[in-house]
Amino acid sequence: MKTSRDDLIKTVEELQQKGFDYLIKITAVDYVQSLTVIYFLRKMADGSEETVEVELNPVDAWVPTLIKHFRAADWYEREMAEMFAIEIKGRQAHRLLLEKWDGVEAPLRKSFQWAQPYKSDTK
Amino acid sequence: MITRINVGPIHPGTHGVLRLLVDVDGDTIKRVETHIGFLHRGVEKLVETRMYMQSPPYMEKLDYIAPLAFDELLVAAIEGALGVEVKERAQYIRVIQLELQRIASHLLWLGTLANDVGQLATVFMWAFSDRDKVMRLLEESSGTRMFYVNQRIGGLIRDQPPDFKEHALPLLDYLEKRIPEFEATLEKNPIFTQRMKGIGVLGKEDAINFGVTGPVLRGSGINYDTRSNQDYYVYKKLNFAPQIQYRGDSYSRYKVRMLELRESIKVVRNALNKMPEGDALGLPVRLINPAVKNRIVRVSRETPRGEGMMYMVADPQRPYRLSIRSPSFVNLSVLDHISREHRFADLFAILASLDPVMADVDR
Repeated sequence: MKTSRDDLIKTVEELQQKGFDYLIKITAVDYVQSLTVIYFLRKMADGSEETVEVELNPVDAWVPTLIKHFRAADWYEREMAEMFAIEIKGRQAHRLLLEKWDGVEAPLRKSFQWAQPYKSDTK
Repeated sequence: MITRINVGPIHPGTHGVLRLLVDVDGDTIKRVETHIGFLHRGVEKLVETRMYMQSPPYMEKLDYIAPLAFDELLVAAIEGALGVEVKERAQYIRVIQLELQRIASHLLWLGTLANDVGQLATVFMWAFSDRDKVMRLLEESSGTRMFYVNQRIGGLIRDQPPDFKEHALPLLDYLEKRIPEFEATLEKNPIFTQRMKGIGVLGKEDAINFGVTGPVLRGSGINYDTRSNQDYYVYKKLNFAPQIQYRGDSYSRYKVRMLELRESIKVVRNALNKMPEGDALGLPVRLINPAVKNRIVRVSRETPRGEGMMYMVADPQRPYRLSIRSPSFVNLSVLDHISREHRFADLFAILASLDPVMADVDR
């Protein structure tokens, strides 16, 4: 299902009340015009699954944290913050999860510049 | 007084490049700070530049203890995107190979676990020699000993050799006799039981909230196994049953994997006996502008370490985006929670019971 980031917490809480208690993964996709953050949830009682999608403006990319709802969200949010430069609001400042490289911002965004291929001086 | 001890990044107990900062009070762990990322290669970005069938070799280097698991997972995602059905004989062969891979992976885990709790000489050597026998069988089936790259869209690169069954069944009988020997060596050893029972307890609700998966989840008493719950390939026909333990400690996780070894042997045997005749070959590697039927695909598979998932946005030639859910990643994130208030020496037994592969954690 699709929702906005303002309604994200409400949507997730409603799903939690319906029994969706397991966070499988948080990931994001850069569609250039927009960034989509995707939450995969599962109801452990019967194995049914639900997907929550939030569309973001790539220039103003932030989502509220779900760390109070799912402790699994901790590492996924940190990974997403590094890989997509999506700010996670409402949680403490966090240490980088995967280490930082010099001059590389948001490697999984489509705007990421690949290094030029190595060219030998000799032919 | 709190003392901070640095462990790693290169340390024999961490089975890879993992750095732990451990706050201890005397000998008691108060907090564990996990530093990962030393092996980050950016696989998810790399596959965006490769054509579909160029990517499976990268996937095999994620979980290098069980390379076939992620190889097959990516091929399954591509099959989902292209809307290709897997041939029935190929499904059986895949199940056989995946379960043999699980046996090899669990045997390696068993050896290193025994190593970590001080049983280097016996169990480690036994487990590694038995794992090599399984890998020889996989070599016979796929053509390579460790990094297979034998999965093709809709099937496999080649069929099994005609005498495979005659070679496989005696090995399965041998392994079935061998597992009680492993258990007797470990479970009758008080050092092993004292370092496993009641250590690193992960309760049922915490297991769900932390999102752990695989043997760690089933060791906490939750009946979820992708093989039975998501019903892929022919597992239903092979009389597969998930294995569960209820105490949630390191010993439960150990026990789940020992039971899974038996279950895998049973599944392989059933598959060998029920395998139909027919064609198992897949499409050629070079696909020129394949028609993408489903732009967004999500596939889950039970790898030896837990549920691996791939979420793929497909373009005609290559993935637009591939997101990988690594089971080791989530399982490792629980380490701080379950090792608090235990002795420092138990940290490595707890870590070994989670069985993370660092290359898979960092991707």
